[in-house]
Amino acid sequence: MKEPIIRLENIKKYFPIRGGVFSRVVGHVKAVDDVSFSIEKGETLGLVGESGCGKSTLGRTILKLLDPTGGSVYYKDHSIFETDKEQLRRLRRELQMIFQDPYSSLNPRLNVGEIIGESIEFHGMASGKEKQEKVEYMLETCGLSPHHHRRYPHEFSGGQRQRIGIARALSLNPEFVVADEPISSLDVSIQAQIINLMEDLQEQFGLTYLFISHDLSMVRYIADHVAVMYLGKVVEVCDKEELYDNPLHPYTQALLSAVPVMDPDLKSNRIILSGDVPSPANPPPGCNFNPRCRYAEERCCSEEPELREVTAGHRVSCHLVEKR
Amino acid sequence: MSELLQVKNLNTSFHTEDGVVRAVNDVSFALKHGEALGIVGESGCGKSVACLSIMRLIAQPGKIEADGIWLEGNDLLKLSEKKMRNIRGNEMAFIFQEPMTSLNPVYTIGFQLQEAIRLHQGLNKRESWKKSVEMLKVVGIPHPEKIAEEYPHSLSGGMKQRAMIAMALSCEPKVLFADEPTTALDVTIQAQILELMLDLKERINTAIIFISHDLGVISEMTDRVIVMYCGRIIEESATRNIIKDPKHPYTIGLIKSKPQIHEKIDKLVPISGSVPNPLQMPSGCPYHPRCEHAMEICAEEMPEKTEAGSGHHVKCWLYSRKGDQVRQ
Repeated sequence: MKEPIIRLENIKKYFPIRGGVFSRVVGHVKAVDDVSFSIEKGETLGLVGESGCGKSTLGRTILKLLDPTGGSVYYKDHSIFETDKEQLRRLRRELQMIFQDPYSSLNPRLNVGEIIGESIEFHGMASGKEKQEKVEYMLETCGLSPHHHRRYPHEFSGGQRQRIGIARALSLNPEFVVADEPISSLDVSIQAQIINLMEDLQEQFGLTYLFISHDLSMVRYIADHVAVMYLGKVVEVCDKEELYDNPLHPYTQALLSAVPVMDPDLKSNRIILSGDVPSPANPPPGCNFNPRCRYAEERCCSEEPELREVTAGHRVSCHLVEKR
Repeated sequence: MSELLQVKNLNTSFHTEDGVVRAVNDVSFALKHGEALGIVGESGCGKSVACLSIMRLIAQPGKIEADGIWLEGNDLLKLSEKKMRNIRGNEMAFIFQEPMTSLNPVYTIGFQLQEAIRLHQGLNKRESWKKSVEMLKVVGIPHPEKIAEEYPHSLSGGMKQRAMIAMALSCEPKVLFADEPTTALDVTIQAQILELMLDLKERINTAIIFISHDLGVISEMTDRVIVMYCGRIIEESATRNIIKDPKHPYTIGLIKSKPQIHEKIDKLVPISGSVPNPLQMPSGCPYHPRCEHAMEICAEEMPEKTEAGSGHHVKCWLYSRKGDQVRQ
């Protein structure tokens, strides 16, 4: 069995809600509430869910870009939340991030060589001519031309900018990369280019990805394991094929059936969920999903289900899995 | 004339400081009563501008030129601004992509619905309020009496889009333009809205022009599809034909580059390159720099419309007789 490279244990991230004259804390938005899973080396874990479910917050909390409220993350032997600042800075070389919006995540006043070279120099990996060579090598690896290093971000299209973002993240030879919706702001014909690039690079450098996305068909393509989030909690996690062929949580079933199907011969049995996602500041008691669930029973409204293993490697948080 | 809406040689251009951007080029199509027509293309292909041009909603420095845009035989381009205002919202309505920004935040939902009803149907304040509440009920908003008195900020994205649809349908328009109505919404909410639109289409018998970049959505919502690239229509056919038997290399590439949720595939096939800068359009067919089948003639001349099956039109040299001659 392979060793997990990254392990999350009961991660929590609450944002305080302040109110009143003295800005006292009057409540919490539980953006991420008690999430645990692990990712093996060289694997891609797809993290899916709708907007506001906490998937991006989770991605940032893992790298300690946001201060966690509780829980721990283990990367190899290091506990990320417990390492001091200096050590964390060194660790970050191995833990990188690709951002969603290639328009706002690149500094418009630096040229591409500086954008990519900055982190190489910061981590003391190379400088001068050697750094220059590394930048050019990374540009070429990511499908850009080496002489692009003198240009500024505004001279590139969205897809090319995302390639720069990827080149920056990978220039430090990281082990683990969090990709936060890396394709959602790109056009359909460009999305496939970026996904193929990420796959090729994974093979070449042995990368491990946490791939955050709301595009369920892309996740089916790129991921090995998939975790589904709803209102700050992971409701189902298992192998990709198992999840798409045999979804067990009623939310996952509805989510998968809601994706529009192109082939007119495949008429899907759509499960239409009623209502909206409840506010994470005031989640319903019991199972988060009970107000929208078509199977909900009394127990679901009072008792919170635990994420438990139902069949080998398939974990679901639902009281009624066996019953249905 | 059996056509409800007919557009002939529509050209919309924007005269900017950097040069002329030809956003829509020689676009012609017709729409029948009760039909659902899809327009597919990537961002910047001119699909939204084409529809806004039909409504004459293009501001300076934009310029609309066409042989004619006829709504039931009336040329819209020849109408005065006052008459055009009578048509907008009344006979033709628009659902915009972003429900968050297209509702006015300082008026209540009911007030905004009421406005169009009072203007176009001449109802008084009480009757129009009653009608607004009724419309909110039609689109499945719970407690419509209460919601009508709320401001947009207190509604969720899906609810706002429902209110937008209620507004667009309040005067029972003959043509409804839906510009990516679900793109800003989550999948489960998208499913709700699409279901609602299909249901309302049956009941009200409105013709819909459905703009989207998502072929899955188009496939579920429309009878016929127009594929646009760089401001031009490059393929047009029944929805089924476009999905099952696409002809234009761009359409084929678009379908192949998007994995389907029920499919296992080994490798994605992307379209190489990117959409050209609208200020520097390539000569000939605009797709030729990205096309794997590109021939010499593709860089020289824009292909003409060719029939590739009944009701299936495509603009590509691969399918035209002249292209055949060149190849030999």
